Amino acid sequence: MRVAMIEVVDLVKHYRASDGSVVRAVDGVSLAVHPGEMVGLLGANGAGKTTTLRVLATLLKPTSGTARVAGCDVRHDPVGVRRSLGYVSATTGVPDRLTAREIFSSFGELHGLEAAGLAARVERLIEVLDLASCADRPAGRLSSGQRQRVSLGRALIHDPPALVLDEPTNALDVVGARDLLSFLAQLRGEGRAILLSTHRLHEIENRCDRFVIIHGGRVLATGTRDELLAAWADGQGAELEDAFFAALAGGGAG
Amino acid sequence: MRQTERHAGGLRAALAIARRDLVEFVRDRRTLFITLLLPMVTYPILALSTALGLRTASSEIEAQRAPTKIVVTVSGPDAIALVDRIGFVEKKTTGSGREGWPSAIEMEAVTAADARGRLDQGVADLWLEAPRGCIAALDADGTVAIPVHLPPGRPPNRRVRDQFDAVMRSLAEDVRSRRIQLAGLPASVLAPLKLVFVDGLEESRPPPAHSIMSTLAGGVLVLLAVLTLTGAFYPAIDAIAGEKERGTIETLLIAPCGSRDIVFGKFLAVFTVTLATLAANAVSIAATAAVSRRFLPADITMALPDSAVVAILVTVLAFAGLAALSAATCLAVTTASKSGKEAQNTLTPVILLVSALAGTALLPGMRSDSLLAAVPFSGQVLVSRGVFAAGEAGPHAVPAVLGPLAVTLLSAAAGTWLLLRATASMLTDEDILFRGGDVAGAGFNRPGRRTRPNVVQGVLPIVAGLAALWYVQGISPDDLVRAIPLQQTAAVILPLLAVTWWQRVDIRQTFRLAWPGGAAGPATWWGGVGWLVGAAALGAAVFVIGATTLLAVKGTVLSDEARLLSNKLLELMESQPAWVSWGLMAALPAVCEECLFRGWVQSGFAGRAESRQRVVAAIVAQAALFAVFHLLPERMPQTFFLGLVLGGLTHASGSLLPAIVCHIAHNSMPLALLAAGLPRWALPASVGCLLLGAVLLTNGSRGRSRMEPLE
Repeated sequence: MRVAMIEVVDLVKHYRASDGSVVRAVDGVSLAVHPGEMVGLLGANGAGKTTTLRVLATLLKPTSGTARVAGCDVRHDPVGVRRSLGYVSATTGVPDRLTAREIFSSFGELHGLEAAGLAARVERLIEVLDLASCADRPAGRLSSGQRQRVSLGRALIHDPPALVLDEPTNALDVVGARDLLSFLAQLRGEGRAILLSTHRLHEIENRCDRFVIIHGGRVLATGTRDELLAAWADGQGAELEDAFFAALAGGGAG
Repeated sequence: MRQTERHAGGLRAALAIARRDLVEFVRDRRTLFITLLLPMVTYPILALSTALGLRTASSEIEAQRAPTKIVVTVSGPDAIALVDRIGFVEKKTTGSGREGWPSAIEMEAVTAADARGRLDQGVADLWLEAPRGCIAALDADGTVAIPVHLPPGRPPNRRVRDQFDAVMRSLAEDVRSRRIQLAGLPASVLAPLKLVFVDGLEESRPPPAHSIMSTLAGGVLVLLAVLTLTGAFYPAIDAIAGEKERGTIETLLIAPCGSRDIVFGKFLAVFTVTLATLAANAVSIAATAAVSRRFLPADITMALPDSAVVAILVTVLAFAGLAALSAATCLAVTTASKSGKEAQNTLTPVILLVSALAGTALLPGMRSDSLLAAVPFSGQVLVSRGVFAAGEAGPHAVPAVLGPLAVTLLSAAAGTWLLLRATASMLTDEDILFRGGDVAGAGFNRPGRRTRPNVVQGVLPIVAGLAALWYVQGISPDDLVRAIPLQQTAAVILPLLAVTWWQRVDIRQTFRLAWPGGAAGPATWWGGVGWLVGAAALGAAVFVIGATTLLAVKGTVLSDEARLLSNKLLELMESQPAWVSWGLMAALPAVCEECLFRGWVQSGFAGRAESRQRVVAAIVAQAALFAVFHLLPERMPQTFFLGLVLGGLTHASGSLLPAIVCHIAHNSMPLALLAAGLPRWALPASVGCLLLGAVLLTNGSRGRSRMEPLE
């Protein structure tokens, strides 16, 4: 039996809104991502995707349920989670006045990497992320694609076995998005477990191994592309988007 | 969640964050301008305008002091005799006796018409009328009136009048000597006492321009305090609110280190920049002062104390503490903001508040050799002023300021530590990080129904109450029968009613409206009675011990304000029936203040979860505010201690009633003592009551910490 690198079981996250009411952002989500697997987390705005990923990144405390990364529980061993996880969100920025090289180095230091190993790791990331031409330019003067690659490099500096990305292609054009997803596929090939959320289904339809569709904080459907199409879409030429809408309609979101 | 990882990153992570932030600050032109350029241009401009002002003022003083020739015309039957007598006095008076005299006096005896004509033409400065027999009368007894006419149609020349007055004083002196001689009395009748200063203090009396320099130095220290805080302004905004705005704060929060390491790293970076600002200010002040010696009047530039190096060193040390406090304050305030703009809006009132605090150090009567040295931002200015003043008194006086320096440094360190702890707590607060408005703004929004106020809302009625108290002073009647209800209504009842209505809190939970049951078990009637009796004993004990300690430490010397209040209270007790005095002095303030401080404020500070640390911090914070609210510095330690006891009672019993009873008992003691006197056994009994109360509180607190939160 394969052990999941990212594992979420019956995760619940409630919070109190400014009017005093209780919001059930995540209400019993379960999912798993294994090493060498890329899973797409799909859902409309407010479905609970970002909250789930933030709990995995130890930015939010779960109300109940468990979330583990590399066997470390987010509640009891958050440092262990952070050592094993690379996290990139749609709102994650890069410091405008630092260069890519400085950003990688400072986060490497935060992860406790030794100087010699860190320098080699920085050079390696600059090379694989194709940042050599702009590695010493302040990040504020980089293009959106270059900034997103710097952000990804920052998340990979400590060579984590698990990667969580929240809408990573949002700010990118078609070419930038394709390059980023290709690179993620390469990382999956290296054995990393990748969980990413996105609204742009066509971009990941043929790249993710499995998908989890959530709505209203609950999981509506889960499976491979073919399994979802078989369960939620009919007819030839159906796409993941059709299954997604059908699942939402079936789950009461229609 | 992050408490378990406190030592995960440690100092290494903090230093990595500090290095990273410092590189960012150095590349921000705005920070460089505020840190280095602003101090370099501020002091020269200040010095230039001050030097111009001082030179003008000094020139005016010199011009007023400079003797001039005055022309006096004298008319009347005894005109010639008076001119002769004044001429005689002029010849007789020499040396210091001529202080304030004109350089020369031109006198002539003319007719009244000529005298008026000369005065009208501006030829003469003054016209005297010498009545018949005035000289004879001067040599006899009585007081001779000599009419003096000033030039018409133009303002009288003050300098001429002063110089003529000096001459006339000498004439009067001569007349007195003649009368003493005629009476056969010794000359010593006019000078029965002469002070001889043997330690040279007379020589070291500061020159008149010294007061200008002292005022200027105080102003520069206040400016230095404000500019030091300004040095932390942009770096702090950039360090946290800026990171939130850029979306980079999450990347730090998912690094394998604790929030305290992150905050400490950011503090190190902001503190470094603030120290650099302080250094730039110090260099600019020194350079400006060195250059200004060439332009300022000589008596002003020579006013530097002998032990200037020690004074500067003490000032730098005191202000290093202020720099730490500034960095921590700015970080704490900006952590509650979600963007740079929001942080600027929040920090601007803080700068105004700090300016006011620093400025209070210049008020008359503020001394550094007291607990005032511990007041943030005022203490540092007080200590620095004190060391310069001590330096002027001689190097031997400088060690006396080392105590206040230690107090202000300890206070700054404690304040910094508390602020950093609060910042670390706020940094990972999910509400602040991901949802809703900023905490500072939340106090002004009408929220949905909730169980308790938050921290900001907890402070609001106190701020409003203090402001109302100030305004009420203007219309407050003198007699306490009307003044006390008016002040309690304005300062406590109305603000409290307003915030309670606005914030829509659960009144029962916020004000702990429950029968005191303690934590050990379900509330029982007898258990509650036990709490109330114990609370009453505790209140009486705290008063007796506090008053005894105050008498032992301070004696019977009171400030003017305290003496005035005591006299009014005594007057009230003597003039009114006992129940009226008791109601006004004991019951009404106790009920009002308990609802405000142990009800509203403590509930807001303790929060919903009521963790042990949070409860302790809430009790200490509300006690400090309770002490400040009473506005009398000499009573603050006693009031603070009472606030701690009342806060502990409220938490331990889960009810506001014991605190109200304790407070009433405390306030009733002056009435009881006035009626019955102080028995010998009062002090030992009070200590016993206090110990008993402490044991009860400790037991109650232990039980309470095991209980589930109230909500």
